[in-house]
Amino acid sequence: MKRLFTFAKPYWLGITITITAILLVTASTLIQPQLLEKMMTAIIHNDSAALLSNGIGLLLLALVGILAGVANTAFAAKVSQGIAADFRQAEYEKIQRFSMENVQTFTSANLVVRLTNDVNQVQQLTMQLLQTVIRVPVLFIGAVTLAIYTLPQLWWVVVLMVLGMVLLSKWIVQTMGKLFGKVQRYIEESNTAVKEDLAGVRLVRSFNQEEQEEATFAKSTDQLVQVNKTISYCFNIIFPAFMLLSYAAIVAALLIISQTITHHPSELAKISPFITYLNQILNVLLIAGMVSTFAARGFVSLQRIGAVLDTKETMPTEAEQDWADLDQLTGALSVRQVSFTYPQGEQPVLQNLSFDLSAGETLGVVGTTGSGKSTLAALLDRLYDPQDGAILVDGVPLTKVRPSLLRREIALAMQKPVLFSGTIAANLKMGNQNASQADLVQAAQQAQAAEFIDRYPAGYEQTISERSSNLSGGQRQRLSLARALVKQPKILILDDVTSALDARSEKLVQQALAEDFQQTTKIIIAEKLSSVVHADQLIVLDQGQIVAKGTHQTLLAQSPLYQKLYQSQQEEDQHAAF
Amino acid sequence: MQRFKETIGYFYHYLKPAWRGLLLALLLLGLGTYAQVTAPLYLGNAVAALSDYLKTVLTAPAQASLHDFYRALGFLIFFYLLSESGQTLSGLAAATVTAKATSGMRKGLFAKLQRLPLKFFDRRQDGQILSLFTSDMDNLQSAMSQAVFSIFSQGMVFIGIIVMMLRKSFTMALVTMALSPVAILLSLFIIKRARLAIQQQQAATGDLNGYINEQLAGQAVLIAEGRQQESVTDFTPYNEQVRSASQRGQFYSGLLGPLMQGLSLLNLAIVIFFGSWLALHTGMGQAAGLSLVVVFVSYSQQYFQPISQLASIYNSLQLAMTGVHRVNEVATQPEERADQGRSLPPLSKAIRFDHVDFAYQPDQPILKDINFQVAKGETLALVGPTGSGKTTIINLLSQFYDLSAGRILFDGIDLSQVDLSAIRSRIGLVLQDTVLFSKSVADNIRYGRPAASQAAVIAAAKQAQIHDFIMTLPEQYDTMLSADSGLFSAGQKQLLSIARTIITDPDVLILDEATANVDTVTEAQLNQATQAVTKDRTAIIIAHRLKTILDADQIIVLKNGAILESGTHAQLLAQKGFYADLYHDQMDLT
Repeated sequence: MKRLFTFAKPYWLGITITITAILLVTASTLIQPQLLEKMMTAIIHNDSAALLSNGIGLLLLALVGILAGVANTAFAAKVSQGIAADFRQAEYEKIQRFSMENVQTFTSANLVVRLTNDVNQVQQLTMQLLQTVIRVPVLFIGAVTLAIYTLPQLWWVVVLMVLGMVLLSKWIVQTMGKLFGKVQRYIEESNTAVKEDLAGVRLVRSFNQEEQEEATFAKSTDQLVQVNKTISYCFNIIFPAFMLLSYAAIVAALLIISQTITHHPSELAKISPFITYLNQILNVLLIAGMVSTFAARGFVSLQRIGAVLDTKETMPTEAEQDWADLDQLTGALSVRQVSFTYPQGEQPVLQNLSFDLSAGETLGVVGTTGSGKSTLAALLDRLYDPQDGAILVDGVPLTKVRPSLLRREIALAMQKPVLFSGTIAANLKMGNQNASQADLVQAAQQAQAAEFIDRYPAGYEQTISERSSNLSGGQRQRLSLARALVKQPKILILDDVTSALDARSEKLVQQALAEDFQQTTKIIIAEKLSSVVHADQLIVLDQGQIVAKGTHQTLLAQSPLYQKLYQSQQEEDQHAAF
Repeated sequence: MQRFKETIGYFYHYLKPAWRGLLLALLLLGLGTYAQVTAPLYLGNAVAALSDYLKTVLTAPAQASLHDFYRALGFLIFFYLLSESGQTLSGLAAATVTAKATSGMRKGLFAKLQRLPLKFFDRRQDGQILSLFTSDMDNLQSAMSQAVFSIFSQGMVFIGIIVMMLRKSFTMALVTMALSPVAILLSLFIIKRARLAIQQQQAATGDLNGYINEQLAGQAVLIAEGRQQESVTDFTPYNEQVRSASQRGQFYSGLLGPLMQGLSLLNLAIVIFFGSWLALHTGMGQAAGLSLVVVFVSYSQQYFQPISQLASIYNSLQLAMTGVHRVNEVATQPEERADQGRSLPPLSKAIRFDHVDFAYQPDQPILKDINFQVAKGETLALVGPTGSGKTTIINLLSQFYDLSAGRILFDGIDLSQVDLSAIRSRIGLVLQDTVLFSKSVADNIRYGRPAASQAAVIAAAKQAQIHDFIMTLPEQYDTMLSADSGLFSAGQKQLLSIARTIITDPDVLILDEATANVDTVTEAQLNQATQAVTKDRTAIIIAHRLKTILDADQIIVLKNGAILESGTHAQLLAQKGFYADLYHDQMDLT
């Protein structure tokens, strides 16, 4: 709640105006019945002058009400959307200071929700606060007070009516809450049934299961429809119940007044205003019930946004600490007893890894699926910090290397390539904004991407759409590789970048790496041994540990595991060509 | 207008079966509304009676009696009760009718989907079709339960009040209605503005969300390339766009409520002013005057209600019309050919593709003059580069698409003359990407044969080499799976898929081998499972693994939609053609 106030502070003027406006509207609503009473009295006393003056008062009051209502809406919209935009900006800036560990703690999908849905909820909460929430108590207290003031001896009628409505509201909120929960569940079930039917449409047809699918869907639909019907029934009973309570109050009022009218003749004029106040109380209580459900959601969202804003970033930015006095890298890499577990993980993915690489050397990393190769790649590029051990470059731990230097001199091409909407050129330049067109073309050629880029009429200015849906897997991989190569880094980490390439293209990429990147320390992760047989050093990972280390020849001679792997890959070789 | 008629037609179709309930709802509504608009008259009468009583008490106390008052009160109570009970019962009937209709709509749409050809699903994203259920059906349901009945109830109230007002006092009725043209025009103006503003708001929000989604999905790259600052710099203009567009959108869409409230208040003020003036200056007497004001204060408040609801009803209807249009677009799609009782006997000799041509789009042929034969019990391997038409051939065999030319023959019977369900029951399909359903492992395996016993399930799993792995799961065969369950690796999923197919014991097996990273252990299991499932069974396999190809009785090499070469492995190597080149390239790499 406090956080909301902090973000609301810059808008104090708008908030003041909108609250004043809504109070004016409320006042106008509450005062009108008073003037109505005066008018009715004027009729009884045949007072033309009073009629005129009060009449004009009524009209002016209504006009004030309209203008204030419009002003309230305008400023409430401005303030609430302003606060929402500020929240979004603050959250996004914060997220861009996150480390991958921070991101994974939330998951990126969840962060998107906290930037969008949750902010929307807070915006609606603010809007409600500025419009309804202020109005409701004022109107309620005002209407109750004025109703009793109008006809004091009927105070107990008012109180009973309010009590009845409040009890009814409570019952509603409880029952509805449970029903709404059920609705959500059944909607999810129904949607899952549809989703799976669509995803497995070929299966459904080939197994002739259409009728069964219809039956499954019918079941979840019936459940859903039943609950919705019950909710409808509730609504159809509740509103009339409220109305009956107010009618009962009106009838009671009339009855009681009729008994004492001869002693209090002025009360004749008060009947209509009294009824008007009762109606106002009814409306207010109805609105209050509906609003309270929204408010709850808004506060939950506020907390979720707060969780993001309060996160401690685990990787400091360049300005936030002192860094080692290192301006260049040669590319010598040293991994010392590194162990790592993912933030949400229970088991360590890497255990006690150690190896050394001299500048310019090539390291081959192989192992079965899930052995931790991609995790190692992520650690070498300092996307995460290991819990135990250290990774040193040129003798300096990664945690002490200036970020701008690190990001410039180390390049990672990931197993699942990530490209962004924009031109191919913009994507390729991501790691090196100063790259010239010639640099881009050279890298594209080395990555075997130039041939398909040149086929586009726009060439390097060709736009890629979201999720790169107009590129094949192989094309995305080559662009991702080219992006890494454009950087001309001192350390190049390639995670399975040739899996979607045919045999010839793969050979050419390996050639380019060997010839044009001789000074670069290369770490090549591959599924197939054939991709890394020429490496200066090879490590074999199994379940996060190094089980064999050496050159291809020494391993073939000395490691039975390596021999077995080599043998089985020779026999079982599959992939791209077929 | 077209859309409006379409919408009425659609609602009518689904409400018709429940016409009795509908009629009841409308009758009760009429009764309740009549009571609702009559009640204020008796309120007025009660006040008039009190006024007369007071006068009589002052002038002729002996004759003063509250009899008229009690009578009016009695009627008031009666009409209050009638109004609420009528409207309640009407609402209950309407809710029942709506439930039935909604159920029919959802089930109807789903059933239609089960009859549509695969082409329909290829052209659309699953998310788009799903939104028909999550978004459009939702809107239709709201529209029906709120807007449709609202139109009737508000409409009846509106007309009823006007009639009552005109009967009580022509002048006052006109005064009460005076502001309504203004109110309606203002409403329509604001609604139009609001729609435009909201469209812009949604566009801006869509752009912002697209940006956020993409950036955060690739956050690892942003960090690795040190591009976070730029990401924020690019974010700000999107955010500011949303700020200003949302302000306008929120303002216009939020304006109608307070404005209508304000106008209602103004209307009331005018009614009170004018009514009081009339009461005083037309010599109607105190009782009549007070009664008039009381009655028209009540009517004025009720009268503005329907006009205030106009906006939300309008919006609801807009959404419903879009929804109906989208749903109808599906409902009018041509279906797969219906079953006509033409069965297919089990395969005894061979499957033959006879001069088969296929083009997905008329100008993009995919298969050209495909001719081949697979004898009963033979295994055929299809190989070739991506996009050469291998997947298309197996799609055509399952009759997922219609041929452009030629015939596919089962023992000389043209498949296009046979029932689809008959063909598909003879064929077992194992796809490259396995779909898991939200059921237990056992139910996933017995999907094609729901009546299969647990023993049959286990037997199939054993044959498919997946039984041992299932036994290591926490609840073994009862473990619940889901579409994105990470329990099974890609290779293991295909093993499960093979079990699924084995249990239905098909005549012909079609297998599209998984190519994703498969580790050596699963590799071996797949080989065993494939062997087990193709033994003594006619099989057509899109082969990626060398072992499968080597073991096949016949290999067909496809390139660019035509058969390049065919024969056994040895024969193809001897031809020293395309196949031989591919083989040697692959071997060179190792």
